[in-house]
Amino acid sequence: MKALNKTGKLLIPVLCMGIFMLLQSGCKSPSERMEEPHKGKLFVVEITQMRFSPAEIAVSKGDKIQFINHDMVAHDITEEATKAWSSSPLQPDQAWTLEVTESANYYCSIHPVMKGKITVQP
Amino acid sequence: MKKQNPLTPKLITVVCFLLFALYGTAQQTSKLTDPEVASAAVTANQIDIEFAAIAFQHSQNKEVLNFAKTMSNDHKAVIAQAVALVTKLKVTPKTNYLTQSLLADAEKTKKRLQSNKGEAFDKAYIDNEVAYHKAVIAAVETVLIPQTANSELKTLLQNVVPALKAHLAHAEMVQKMIHK
Repeated sequence: MKALNKTGKLLIPVLCMGIFMLLQSGCKSPSERMEEPHKGKLFVVEITQMRFSPAEIAVSKGDKIQFINHDMVAHDITEEATKAWSSSPLQPDQAWTLEVTESANYYCSIHPVMKGKITVQP
Repeated sequence: MKKQNPLTPKLITVVCFLLFALYGTAQQTSKLTDPEVASAAVTANQIDIEFAAIAFQHSQNKEVLNFAKTMSNDHKAVIAQAVALVTKLKVTPKTNYLTQSLLADAEKTKKRLQSNKGEAFDKAYIDNEVAYHKAVIAAVETVLIPQTANSELKTLLQNVVPALKAHLAHAEMVQKMIHK
């Protein structure tokens, strides 16, 4: 009886921890679980009426920005100063995702009057 | 004393004529029907594609060629949307006074553009693009949109205006570069 009590005392915290871990993983949706390897947040910039919206966005390093083209003409997203990065032309309803590593001014090289800004917050 | 560009007085006259002809003609006559609005809208886009085609043949300026490529692609995209919509609405575009006026002016402009070469062509082309987009924006905003009955056609025209304004700003940007 005494031996059983000792085993019981050891089992209770182990079982509680196991139940807690099961409950935690059960609360997350499948999409959240799939996104776990990507620690950054996902932001969206919509391209509509020949503008980037929002035109200025503040994010953290490692976050991602998805650009979605809602216009009836093609656009691209190109880093302005040195053309360090660029999407290929996005046709209407196409999207492109950028993983942010540093602050940048960007523009559409097809319509150079369309401009946007990404600021990486410390 | 700054030397005056010999093309300037000629261009000012052409630009004024174009603005007057397009905007004035559009306002002077009777209300347009939706098939007539569709015809004018498609024709205005087609004309700028034809101006771009002349630029591809006559220009070697990178900025001018990039601009012409954007005009060609964007106006083709707008025509594709317009054709899809009128097909869905079972509307057959109908030629009218505005379409005819646009086509007559375009023929004169094309002849004038084709008579220029090199830098003179680049300046004539981009000056015309600035004037043409100003005139088309005015016609779309004050004539075509108000006179369109069908809501989907009206929405399409409203959605085209920001693209036309971006084209105008782009043309003015190139104009500043090549008039330096």
